[in-house]
Amino acid sequence: MRRDLARVLAELWRGHAGRLAGGAAVAVAAALLGLALLALAGLGVAGAGGQAALAGAGLVSGLAALALLRPLVPLRPLARYAERLLTHEATFRALADTRLWFFRRLAERLPAGLGLRRAGDLLGRLVADVEALDGLYLRALVPGAAALAAVLAIALLLGMLAPRLAAAVALPLALALLAPLALAPAAARAAAAAAASQGALRAAVVDPLTGLEDTLAANAEGRAAARLAEAGAALAAAQRRLAMRGALGGALGGLLVQAALLAALGWGLAAGPEGVAPALLALFLVVAAAETLGLMPRAGAALAAAAAAARRLFQAADQPPPVAEPAAPAPLPPRGHAIRIRDLRFAWAPDRPPVFEGLDLDVPEGARVAILGPSGSGKSTLAALLLKLAAPQGGRITLGGADLATLPAAAVRGRIACLTQDARLFDDTIAANLRLAAPEAEDAALWRALEAARVAELVRALPEGLETRCGEAGARLSGGQARRLALARALLSPAPVLILDEPAAGLDTETECEFLATLDAATAGRSVILIVHRLIGVERPTRILRLIGGRAIPATG
Amino acid sequence: MGPADATADHAADEAAARRLLARAARAGRRRLLLPVLLGLAGTLAAIAQAWLVARLLAALLGLGPGAGWAELAGAGAFALLGLGLGLAQERAQQTAGEAAKARLREAAFARLIEAGPLDPRPVGERTALVVDRIEALEGYFSRWLPAAFLALLAPAAVALAAAMADPASGLILLGAGLLVPLAQGASGIGAAQAARRQFDALQRLSGRFLDRMRGLPTLVLFNRQEAEATRLGAVAQELRRRTMRVLRVAFLASAGMELIAAAALALLAIRHGAALAAAAGIPPGGAAAEALFVLLLVPAFFAPLRGFAAAYHERLAARGAAAALAPLLGEAQPDRPAPAPGLLLAEVPPQVTVTFQEVRLVYDPARPPALDGLSFRVLPGETLVLTGASGAGKTSVLRLLMGFARPDGGRIAINGRDVTLLRPSELRRLSAYVGQRAHLFRATLRENIRLARPEATEAQVEAAARAAGVMEFAGALPRGLDTLVGEGGWGLSGGQAQRVAVARAFLRDTPLVLLDEPTAHLDPGTEAEMWESLRRLCVGRTAIVASHARAARGGALRGARVLEIAAGRALGAARAAGA
Repeated sequence: MRRDLARVLAELWRGHAGRLAGGAAVAVAAALLGLALLALAGLGVAGAGGQAALAGAGLVSGLAALALLRPLVPLRPLARYAERLLTHEATFRALADTRLWFFRRLAERLPAGLGLRRAGDLLGRLVADVEALDGLYLRALVPGAAALAAVLAIALLLGMLAPRLAAAVALPLALALLAPLALAPAAARAAAAAAASQGALRAAVVDPLTGLEDTLAANAEGRAAARLAEAGAALAAAQRRLAMRGALGGALGGLLVQAALLAALGWGLAAGPEGVAPALLALFLVVAAAETLGLMPRAGAALAAAAAAARRLFQAADQPPPVAEPAAPAPLPPRGHAIRIRDLRFAWAPDRPPVFEGLDLDVPEGARVAILGPSGSGKSTLAALLLKLAAPQGGRITLGGADLATLPAAAVRGRIACLTQDARLFDDTIAANLRLAAPEAEDAALWRALEAARVAELVRALPEGLETRCGEAGARLSGGQARRLALARALLSPAPVLILDEPAAGLDTETECEFLATLDAATAGRSVILIVHRLIGVERPTRILRLIGGRAIPATG
Repeated sequence: MGPADATADHAADEAAARRLLARAARAGRRRLLLPVLLGLAGTLAAIAQAWLVARLLAALLGLGPGAGWAELAGAGAFALLGLGLGLAQERAQQTAGEAAKARLREAAFARLIEAGPLDPRPVGERTALVVDRIEALEGYFSRWLPAAFLALLAPAAVALAAAMADPASGLILLGAGLLVPLAQGASGIGAAQAARRQFDALQRLSGRFLDRMRGLPTLVLFNRQEAEATRLGAVAQELRRRTMRVLRVAFLASAGMELIAAAALALLAIRHGAALAAAAGIPPGGAAAEALFVLLLVPAFFAPLRGFAAAYHERLAARGAAAALAPLLGEAQPDRPAPAPGLLLAEVPPQVTVTFQEVRLVYDPARPPALDGLSFRVLPGETLVLTGASGAGKTSVLRLLMGFARPDGGRIAINGRDVTLLRPSELRRLSAYVGQRAHLFRATLRENIRLARPEATEAQVEAAARAAGVMEFAGALPRGLDTLVGEGGWGLSGGQAQRVAVARAFLRDTPLVLLDEPTAHLDPGTEAEMWESLRRLCVGRTAIVASHARAARGGALRGARVLEIAAGRALGAARAAGA
């Protein structure tokens, strides 16, 4: 638990250390001002009672210092306001950055997709778990710093008057200060359950809504609602347990503050007339510290929740990337973009049959290689290996003479563009979706790509043209339209190597023919790897290879 | 929309939000009573404790009659009682919030399901609506409402106790108490709007993140992940700014509250400081104890008001959340979601005849109609293939038969009865559906097939898997049908995922089969194999297939009738396939 929280501070929030420390400093100042306010009031009451026999040189100087603070005292509400504003501002800045960090890590670690992870659960981590980290600072560190200052000040001030009184009052307060550390482990289980159920609840909503058509078609909406209710109940139960831990902490805090209060009174009763003034001062100091210290033990539950959230974030973000970036990148950029594959060996998992067993393949610059083979023969795997979404277990792939393993993934992907089978359109405009491939492309270039993909006419007919929104995964377009836009996007990419994985899926026969016949013009000067199930005779590839038994065999049409 | 309309809209939303919260509060009235009563009891314990401590203090200062260890013990006992009551109150509040949350979440989710696949909002946004906005409402019920009631009742009790000791002090406290809501109100102007914007920002963040995360491979392959991170960062910063704007209001309210408390304390101290000084000279009496009592009551007086101020932003957040939820939840009773209108199906008939008569469907009045007077009839055992260019209206026909949309004109009948009389979910009981890209849930292949009919036996599931050709690839997987697949079919090829969808259709075993370009994303070889299974699926059932020309022209659906449609209308009469 401590390790995760320490990592949040040291790794994620390092850039915000100044703001965070500043907020805590203002909190300390506000707490000390509160103490000063009530210490002065306590002295006033004691003085009014005619018991101003406060002897001792140390105390006099201390009180003189307090008197100097008098003009500052009305600033206390202002200080509290500033504290809240600054600490929250610092927190939310840190949280916004944490969300960004999380997305970057996911992009780095899951370049090939989410796999068996639930999208809803990851969304929960980004939203709810990041939010729960605020407890670490706002409810533990900031009040902790303020409380520590208050306890020290009280112990010091009373210690000069009456050491035993100081001990009797400061001890319960110090216990309240330390309580969170003792209480957090006990709340850890409830916190972990609450965080996990948060993710499960979101998944229970995201899942059926994403597959809404299939859910409805199966009359499964009732089952989805029942699952949601179940997830909601589990979350409520976990939250209840966590809240109870918090409430118990609150009660403990109240108890310790009351104990300090009663200890001051009891000391006064026992000490007789001489003890009245110090006891009164102690009483007022405890009242001043009550708000800060009474809430401290509650921080135990907040700490546990923050730790559980941090655990879930790191768990998702620490997946090893499928292909590690080279420790020592190639000294020179690749010369040209010829691809050469020698003796390639690869299996997706040790218990799965190998996909490639000694594959050799050459794609010279400007070549047009058609790769054929039935589904499952490894056509898409080849694309994944070329794009560094997976790393071969044996053999070598070179791009422009440089070993792919020594090139940073971004350098490879800048040179090889791919239309994958699961290419996705985002909930944005058609133009924005196309410009993913070439951010600086002008409208004319977009139209050329749309023409080449045989979808320009359709886009022109839309009332909003290029500014039409596609919807999530192209939901506002028909399947064929979405696929053709994805094709246009791949064609728009300036990369010198183009991998087209079944580019004609979703096209009808005539359009398919037209597109493949003009592929030459659309990809002039670039290398093209055409992954298709079969050739229809218009493609004019420079080479045809068939994938069989993990090797590439030259073939004819 | 002009600015005046926008303002009117906001006002209407505000009113709807208020109504929604009021309805939900009424539904959970009884649960709210307990925390208020417990809180009130806690205040009474605090008053008693203050009285005992005041007597003790007066005695200590030599200003009051003798008081000692008995009072100290009494004060300790009341302190313990107060803590116990506080614990019980928190627990009761939590329960009140839970119940309200569960009711509202159920209702909101049901509405989103009802809205169907045509809802244009991204899934992440809809999720934020059901999860985050509903969570925000919890604070309203578990913290704000009890705090608001207690802020009325508890200070009144304290002021009364103070007035019994010293009427003027009671009045001072009362006056301070009346100032608090004024300060809150002044700082809260425009706050509801700010809260609403905060939630909109959260919703945008959720929507964008979920969408982009699903397409991570696409972003990564174009090296655009960093650009997307920057955009996402802007959305996250927007959320921070919006959140701070809401909190600033809440903090101002708290600061105002503290100023008022400090002023009240100062007033009382001036009044009673003089009294105490005077008392020092006179023989012991009750006056000093009463003065101290009044001073000690100040924290007890302001504690519930402090709770009120602290819970104030819960109210703002809830208002914002309710304003967004109100259009979704409408005026329905949140405790009893109204069932969708329509008749129930007594039983699924063994065979169905589908008739379209001059059917019209308009999604958007600004665009031409999707269907413009389409008529056809499909008899039991018959397969009708709808062909035509993208956007001709093929999918719309299937949407109508799935109950995702309702016709704007004409009549759709099944076995002679108007389908609009049936509840949409009942209509779907008649049909099995395979779309362009089946959605697989993160579960085993077996569970994914079983989705279509949860009560099916293992043998039936396996028979369906065989009929659809799922067994062919599942056999090669280490765990067969018990292989786990990821969301959206991760681990399977597009063709394999579609086969799972066909297996669902076989398992469903319904008289009507609806296929919407089920091979649109498949390569031609896989496509041919798919049509083979689909043809077996259609045998003996009424089938309507939306398909592009190639499949219909090829021998894929031998014996089927083909109807070509364009611009939502039939082009000529249906003809035999392959003709």
